Amino acid sequence: MRTRLALAASLALSLIAPAARSADPTGRTLAVTIYAGDLALIQDRRDIDVKGGRQRIEFQDVSAQIRPETVSLKAADIAIVEQNFDFDLLTPAKLMEKAVGHVVTIVRVNPATGAETREQAEVLATNGGVVLKIGERIEVLRDDGLPVRVIFDKVPDNLRARPTLSVTITGGHPGTRAAALSYLTPGLGWQADYVALYDENDSKIDVQGWVTLTNSSGTTYENAQTLLVAGTPQLAGTQLGGAPVRWRTPARGTIQQAGTESGNREQLGDFYLYPLAERTTIANQQTKQVSFLDVHGVPAEHGYEYRNGWLATSNTPVSAKSVYRFSTSAHAGLGDQLPAGVLRFYMRDKRGDPQFIGESAIEHTPMGSTLSLATGDAFDVKVHAVVVKRTKNSDRDWQTDMSYELSNAMTHPVTVDLLQAGLWGDSRIITESQKSTRRSADTAEWQVTVPASGKTVVTASFDTKF
Amino acid sequence: MRSAGSLLLLIAGGVTTGAPVFAQTRPADVVAEAPSALSVTVYRAPYRASGSIDLDRLEGFALVSETRTVHLPAGESRLRFEGVADGIEPASAIVTGLGDGVLEKNRDAALLSPSTLVAAALGRPVELIRTNPKTGKVERLDATILAGGDSGGGADGVVMKTADGIEALRCSGLPETFSFENAAGLASRPTLSVRVRTAAPLSAQVTLSYLARGFDWAADYTATLAADGKHMDLGAWVTLANGNGVGFPQAHTQVVAGRVNREQATVEPIDLGGPIVATCWPRGSTSDTPEILQLKKAMPFGMAPEPMAGRMAAPTAAMALQEVAVDAQRVMQEQLGDLKLYRVPETTTVASRQSKQVRLLDRSAIPVVTVYGAELSASNPVGPQPASRLLRTKNNVANHLGLPLPSGRAAVFLPHAGERLLAHESEVRDLAIDEELEIGMGEAPDVQVTATPQDVDSYRVDIANARPEAIQFELTLHFYDESVHIRKADRPMGTKNGHPIFRLSVPANSTLTMRYQTIKSGAGAAGRTRKN
Repeated sequence: MRTRLALAASLALSLIAPAARSADPTGRTLAVTIYAGDLALIQDRRDIDVKGGRQRIEFQDVSAQIRPETVSLKAADIAIVEQNFDFDLLTPAKLMEKAVGHVVTIVRVNPATGAETREQAEVLATNGGVVLKIGERIEVLRDDGLPVRVIFDKVPDNLRARPTLSVTITGGHPGTRAAALSYLTPGLGWQADYVALYDENDSKIDVQGWVTLTNSSGTTYENAQTLLVAGTPQLAGTQLGGAPVRWRTPARGTIQQAGTESGNREQLGDFYLYPLAERTTIANQQTKQVSFLDVHGVPAEHGYEYRNGWLATSNTPVSAKSVYRFSTSAHAGLGDQLPAGVLRFYMRDKRGDPQFIGESAIEHTPMGSTLSLATGDAFDVKVHAVVVKRTKNSDRDWQTDMSYELSNAMTHPVTVDLLQAGLWGDSRIITESQKSTRRSADTAEWQVTVPASGKTVVTASFDTKF
Repeated sequence: MRSAGSLLLLIAGGVTTGAPVFAQTRPADVVAEAPSALSVTVYRAPYRASGSIDLDRLEGFALVSETRTVHLPAGESRLRFEGVADGIEPASAIVTGLGDGVLEKNRDAALLSPSTLVAAALGRPVELIRTNPKTGKVERLDATILAGGDSGGGADGVVMKTADGIEALRCSGLPETFSFENAAGLASRPTLSVRVRTAAPLSAQVTLSYLARGFDWAADYTATLAADGKHMDLGAWVTLANGNGVGFPQAHTQVVAGRVNREQATVEPIDLGGPIVATCWPRGSTSDTPEILQLKKAMPFGMAPEPMAGRMAAPTAAMALQEVAVDAQRVMQEQLGDLKLYRVPETTTVASRQSKQVRLLDRSAIPVVTVYGAELSASNPVGPQPASRLLRTKNNVANHLGLPLPSGRAAVFLPHAGERLLAHESEVRDLAIDEELEIGMGEAPDVQVTATPQDVDSYRVDIANARPEAIQFELTLHFYDESVHIRKADRPMGTKNGHPIFRLSVPANSTLTMRYQTIKSGAGAAGRTRKN
């Protein structure tokens, strides 16, 4: 990343016009690196006016959620004395509070004549009401309810309209020079959003991928060079991924087989990088989407899956999950790594309009993986699983007879992956009506074909220690 | 591209300067025409397996598709789609019809409101209008807003700079307000915008699709039992509701049955803005000083939209009383993958904050059986307690059904003196063809069940029928200890869902008594002796 940022910085420098003031945003170049979990690195390059000697420089428009301890300012020929982050915000009440002991101007308006009279007043206290000293008299401001304007000479130094970062420096020779300010801030995040259009006749999907940026940091990042990092660095004091993320690791794993292919995306360590092609403005409270993937005609399979928990009996038939499988490999799939996000499936209705048929979160998925995504429940394909009988052969030996009735109300046959979970430890299948495979040590799987408008019953007896 | 930033910024209501530098390359601001065609497909709340909708908590969603005509100049444009649903999930937006010219899609959360105006005018000159209450003289003063609105500091009052010095808005007791130069590019309605680049001027039909929250639908069934108690008529409405502030006139309207998976991703809610809050230091209120900085961060709001303002009367079974709709237009069902799509045949207006009913089905003379029953835990004494009662039929053609029945609520009516009176309301889950349809009828006080333990492992159940006709009764037994089974019973036993069930016929005005004995299975006597 360091090389990349250096590149960004040099590019930024070449864009800087000979600006006049440090506050002038035209001399400013922003590079924003956003991590997948509510964290961003802001590289803010602007010109500062060095007067020589000690001076205070204020940086407006930094993130309102800045982590001040991560601030770093670099410029040629300056030394940093101290960095301050002032978050005492300017409000009328604060203004009055800070005026205690100072003189303000009060303007009284005569309600009968409308005439104005001006007086100087010292603010004595603001505890539960404003106590003023006017000449030798003590008064409570507007105690009589009559109109009185209060005019302050200036805004106290450390009251701000917005949180402000200020750095005190000792400068060398006077002049304008480029400074690089960098800091970490929460409030910026991104995830991937995928749109998959499934063609039922050809069993193919078209997939578009978008990165979705959200900015709730309270600040707008103007014309920023933006780099997205598909990963969340561990932050001290948090669990890995402890920062709030917009997606959650799905309970049912989505990667059926992890891929082993490498692509040509840029990488930073083990993270993939998604630079945006053009500079963009990330406005406060904005959700922004930029395309990064567009693949057509990827083969996809559609199937059904039902997982029964150990000793689970349902009183009524329960819908099987509707599952779509496809590959991310280069030759027969999407041909890309997929950053974590949400994949939304669409399908055309009888009129040809795409309709939403469900979504699934996906994890960071390497290229060459096989994904298996559940989009929802099948209306017409149901499973009625029943514990028919439990027999205790001895204290530590049980026989469990299960019956699974699979029904299909559609006019074509379907195949359901029927899973029985919970076969821990020394468990075996004594008898079964059709051959099962072990998907994992504790899960048996039957591939059950259910005829059109028909039913198939699978029975199995398990020998377990519990 | 550089200038796009500054323009977008104006929309976002942030602080900007220096925009004129790039004025010559500023992208064209293009507003898409109003939708020429609309489609709304409503999905149910993903977690609700049965039951009706709640107008105060519309937790379903909809896929909205709008076809709009756009006229783009050559070069870069900011194309705005105004008036999208306020519940829009911006991450789901799809724009088709612009080829690959779309650079980015944006949704700005801030809408035009007094507070966002102040926030947008922060640090910029505005006009302060002050009226002398006595003379009526209106002063227009130049002022600069120093703090206020909701620009990170919360709405804690407005501080401004005038020619006199620093003052706070509306702390003088005088009528004061601001006059702004312009609306700062803030949109009055929820707006999605795309940054698009075209080589030549382009007029195109563009389709914008997105998911939006604040919708829901359910089926509302009304079952009318015939006087013989052996047949019923079944009618149903599709009840759909739109809790958004945006209506969809003349829309192709569909509803989808079946549970679709939704991830609990958060959505940045639209900032609907607010009034200008002019907190100040009047008598006795200086203690309102905020002590701690509390930045407001957008929080996940799950699937829960804001409760709707101005709650409407929830559709109840009472609606069904006016039901005369035999020739009403019905929704048409089609298969959508593994879901069922119901299409309203004609375009209809899905107005904002409205619930709407369209006929789903009407079937008559469906043979039904009234079944009484009780589920007892095998060994505990029970009752006397009233039996439960339900209507049972099978969803097939022989029973005048045989169509997918989407989940919802069923109200059962009984004929009485030429009227139909509500007997009971219950919930219905999604039912595929050939599944059993059971409509709960509540409790039957005329059928009482008493269970009495007798000797060890021996039980007696009495079913008292006070009705003037024989009834079907289903007694289901549940055992806490799964190694316990029925050893002997004086009635034929079946199993249902792995539990013993006795299907009995209880004669009119009489009590039926049945007895059964249980046994604990195990390794012969070892199992017995361990019992304690």
